[in-house]
Amino acid sequence: MPLPVLAASELANYLPVGVLVLMAITFAVANVVLSLLIGPNRDGATKADTYESGMLPVGTARKRFNVRFYIIAMTFLVFDVEVIFLYPWAVTFSNINPQSPEGGVFLGRVLFFMATTVIAYAYGYRKGVFRFD
Amino acid sequence: MSTPLLMTMLGAADQPLPMVEKLRYLVPEMILFIATVVVMIVGLSPNRAVRRSCAAVSIAGLAAAGAAAAFGPAFEGGVLPGLMPFAKVLIAAVGVLLVMVVTGTVDRDFEGEVSRGAAFDALRGNRAEFYAFALFSLTGLMLVASADDLIWLFLALELTSLPTYVMVSISTARSRSQEAGVKYFFLGAFGAAMFLYGFAMLYGATGTTALYGPGSIAEVLAARAASGEGLGMLATLGLVLSIVGVSFKIAAVPMHFYTPDVYEGAASSVSAFLAFVPKAAGFLTIILLLAAVGWHFGPAGTALPEPIRVTLWVMAALTMTVGNVLAVMQKSVKRMLAYSSIAHSGYMLVGVIVGPGSQAGATGSLQSNGLAAVLFYLLCYGFMNLGAFAVLAVLEKRSGGEREEIETVEDLKGLCRTQPLMGWTMVLCALSLLGLPPLLGFWGKFFLFTSAIGAGEIALVVVMGLNSAIAAYYYLRLVGAPLLESSDAGASFTEAPAPARKWAAVLSAASVLVLVLPAGWLIQRANNATGVRPPTTPMKASGGTADSASTSAPAVRAAR
Repeated sequence: MPLPVLAASELANYLPVGVLVLMAITFAVANVVLSLLIGPNRDGATKADTYESGMLPVGTARKRFNVRFYIIAMTFLVFDVEVIFLYPWAVTFSNINPQSPEGGVFLGRVLFFMATTVIAYAYGYRKGVFRFD
Repeated sequence: MSTPLLMTMLGAADQPLPMVEKLRYLVPEMILFIATVVVMIVGLSPNRAVRRSCAAVSIAGLAAAGAAAAFGPAFEGGVLPGLMPFAKVLIAAVGVLLVMVVTGTVDRDFEGEVSRGAAFDALRGNRAEFYAFALFSLTGLMLVASADDLIWLFLALELTSLPTYVMVSISTARSRSQEAGVKYFFLGAFGAAMFLYGFAMLYGATGTTALYGPGSIAEVLAARAASGEGLGMLATLGLVLSIVGVSFKIAAVPMHFYTPDVYEGAASSVSAFLAFVPKAAGFLTIILLLAAVGWHFGPAGTALPEPIRVTLWVMAALTMTVGNVLAVMQKSVKRMLAYSSIAHSGYMLVGVIVGPGSQAGATGSLQSNGLAAVLFYLLCYGFMNLGAFAVLAVLEKRSGGEREEIETVEDLKGLCRTQPLMGWTMVLCALSLLGLPPLLGFWGKFFLFTSAIGAGEIALVVVMGLNSAIAAYYYLRLVGAPLLESSDAGASFTEAPAPARKWAAVLSAASVLVLVLPAGWLIQRANNATGVRPPTTPMKASGGTADSASTSAPAVRAAR
């Protein structure tokens, strides 16, 4: 095969990627341009502020947070990680023959795994993580 | 229907031992894990009596785990098939004493407030976490003994270490403990990064993370050695890096600097924990790694590859000497014991260098089995060192409203008269650490010496002998102060209100005496635990000379 044809055929595989890149750039640029053109313009001191998820971004950087945020974040992490493990399980589970005994074993294992995360919940509950006062 | 994926998920791939099978050998770890979970919940109970059952639950869990390890199914796979029961029973036995020593370390002031009528606030208590971390660490230690894969080994090592960082930090309310915890954590992370890098290089050199089984590190390296190429640059570098990184866990030169600071900053009870658990994990790791390499190099075919041997040789000699010489200069008992624990790591490294003292496959003879000597020494060290630290953990005095532990050797003066039980425990444990016959420590050293002589490591034996002489100086100070000198007025130490600590100290002192009787049986157990298995299918790289130029794993596998 002559080289230009080979290169062309291989590059053709990347066409979807190219289209995607083009779409992404168009979308981003179009949004900025359109909002500049047709959007209302309300400037002000608050608008010019840095957006910090609803927190006032002014003051010392060494502000203390309630330790509760941290503990809740940790508890959240437990269930967050649990979900990550559930996804591959769910994908595989749908491939199992419903008649085969593996289905029960598979289900039992994931239920056991989920039971272990209840321990984290019980610990957090006892520790008073969910008590807001 | 994706059958291959399903097969992998069910563990039916061509692994040497699928995970479902492995679980049978992990019953002790599972029991310990359940105990950990129970402790974590029980320790937060608003009921004082339930809260106080943490130590009892931990000890029951350890005892059950030890029994499960002793009577569990015999392991067939692994580099060292017999290692698991021996190591796990040892871990459970010392673990019980360690849990007894760490009782009453946290929450003393808080519990005092509660008993005076303050409301119990689960957020302020540390008891549940403290015991759970101790058990997590011991679970990790058992998992190290079960490891047959580099990734498993790394995770188990980290499970052993991570809880100890927290235990150090929360062991006392003083800022010194927090400083010690931070030092320990950062240097520990440094060590972990180092041996992880080493593991990665081993993987790069062999193309596998399995230590044993078809196509494992043990086989790839054996094939490479059989073809006369040696280990190869990358594998050697990986092994050296792993050993140096793990030397943080065993507190050996060049990663020993943290030891005195951390042991001094932590409460004595936690120092006792640190002096055994990470050290045992480190030695088990080194033994497992080197068993995959095999002691079948050198002129007689019973030595490690020369670069590894030289590395370990220098480390052992330096560790002994640095530990003992610096221990002589210490005034603080805890720092002295910290340096002494460094020195003991040096002694044990000698046994690692010697190896099983026989061709792979055969169980070594008692006199020449260095690995058995290491395991036996670990047992001796576990009991006698724990006793010495337990004495420090039991005794305390109040000065200016603050509790103080025994600080200098002077504080030990006349202890045999003022606190006879603790005084004699200290005397016995110090004499055993020194290696005075007929105590347990002597037999530990005895087997290390004979195995080293049997392997012809005469220079190392001389260094060991010299170091034992240096060590006599400071251990005899620990013996002389309580036994011969009379106590100064005003230095009155009382027992901490944790009776289990006293019992742990007395039990360790008793085991230093009593375990001498079954010493022969114990070393025989250790000997059986260290029969290194040969790779399942000894391969010869039959490729021509053109092949042998490339030492990459695919080439070796292709040659099979």
